[in-house]
Amino acid sequence: MNFHLKSALNSVKRSPFQALAAVFVLMITFFVGTVLAVLIYSSSKMISYFETRPQVIAFLKNEATSQAIAALEHKLAADLRVKEVRYVSKEEALSIYKKVTSDNPLLGELVSPSIFPASLEFSLVDLTHASKVISEVKEEAIVDSVGFTASLGGERTLQDVVEKLRGIARDLKIGGIIFVGLLIGTSFLVLVVTLGLRIATRKEEIEILDLIGAKPAFIRNPIMIESVFYSLIGVFLGWILTFIIVLYITPWTVAYFGPIPILPKEPLKLVGLFGFIFAVEAFIGVSLAIIGSFIAFSRARRLR
Amino acid sequence: MIKFRNVTKTYGEVVALKNISFEIDKGEFVFITGPSGSGKTTILKLILGEIVPDAGEVWFNNINIAKVPAKDLFKLRQKIGCVFQDYKVIAQKTVEENVEIGLAVVGITEDKWTERVEKALKLVSLYARRSFFPAQLSGGELQRVSLARALVINPDLILADEPTGNLDWDTADEIMGLLTKVNKEGKTVVIAMHNKEIIAKMKKKVIKLTGGKMASEKII
Repeated sequence: MNFHLKSALNSVKRSPFQALAAVFVLMITFFVGTVLAVLIYSSSKMISYFETRPQVIAFLKNEATSQAIAALEHKLAADLRVKEVRYVSKEEALSIYKKVTSDNPLLGELVSPSIFPASLEFSLVDLTHASKVISEVKEEAIVDSVGFTASLGGERTLQDVVEKLRGIARDLKIGGIIFVGLLIGTSFLVLVVTLGLRIATRKEEIEILDLIGAKPAFIRNPIMIESVFYSLIGVFLGWILTFIIVLYITPWTVAYFGPIPILPKEPLKLVGLFGFIFAVEAFIGVSLAIIGSFIAFSRARRLR
Repeated sequence: MIKFRNVTKTYGEVVALKNISFEIDKGEFVFITGPSGSGKTTILKLILGEIVPDAGEVWFNNINIAKVPAKDLFKLRQKIGCVFQDYKVIAQKTVEENVEIGLAVVGITEDKWTERVEKALKLVSLYARRSFFPAQLSGGELQRVSLARALVINPDLILADEPTGNLDWDTADEIMGLLTKVNKEGKTVVIAMHNKEIIAKMKKKVIKLTGGKMASEKII
């Protein structure tokens, strides 16, 4: 085993409680960090879901000719604020109705296609354009009325929902980053203090190494390895705890959020997301450990 | 190899060395002697770069030690094998590990450690106790661990501060025999010592200090 690694592990074994304290504080930090990363991912997916699903339905008048409908469809398709325009004929509307009421076939039997209006469904690139686009479409001669996805209510409600989600996501990001920043700061201080204690207990050894010609890096390396060791263990524990919790609550989230993909549905993609979070956290953890050990070591040298 | 030019060193009001000048050539065996507080250990600390002179210059291998930046002192120290009066062995490491650390510090690869550590420990008659911790050893044995760590790196210079201070007569004789042997192999040996009997027996160059001043420099 590498000489420095052996020294670092011996040092951990010698003072297990200091090691545990450092690992636990880092674990809490990275647990909160992982939870926050998952929440930010989920909220962005939720916003994207609401923003990209067909939101506007322009119900057409019965007398609308196919040429007029095609012209409006082209006009909307050419509009940069609009995407995914789709024509739904009376027959398609009936079949959608029948599908929705499939558990009660009698309801489907009682209606004919003539009572369903044909429509043009489309979504908006950005919901800030909603009011303007809707009022423009309403003024079209062949348009009878304009509606939003029924479950979300009217245009004001939809905008409110998305704005509210954006607000929550923004607050989550800002609040979360501040909170995680504070936790990282605290962990960093705990790491520096723990390493400072370690250096104090090894003062004599450091002095001897210095006198027999050890390079500063030779003296610092075991301390640095020790702190990287704490960080990686802390990152791993915080990360795995969140991963287990997410796996545990997945059936509930799927049932609650239904089609909204707040987390990747494919196991491989979910592992990929968590793998990415782990890589970022490991990088932050190792950076904290290296900077922390440099600071603790240079402080100890200054105080000698 | 070592030059002291008009060196003065004070600790507050106490004058440890006053205008000291001498030279030690490569391959010499030199005793620095004098009563307690005469400045013997200060000379060794100056050679090691542990302290800097208030006035004058200390040269080692044509390098003015006071001009060496703190971050580069290790290069100088790696050429010196030190035997300390208070042993300076690491309490948490075994005898073998304490000697190994000397090799690790100078960057000798691990595959060569076993052979060199074994040789050094056999030389100081501590091989049988290689897995002991310092707390399990006597003062004399600790002194020999310190000597083994100094010898194992095959240094240009060996500095020893009272290397027989805690030893019985026979062991002291053995240690002096070892130092004579490495000196014959071409190493320079500088020993701070107040034991007149050993100094008289060895018949080597002696720098005598009294109250921080040089009293004499002669071969006894």
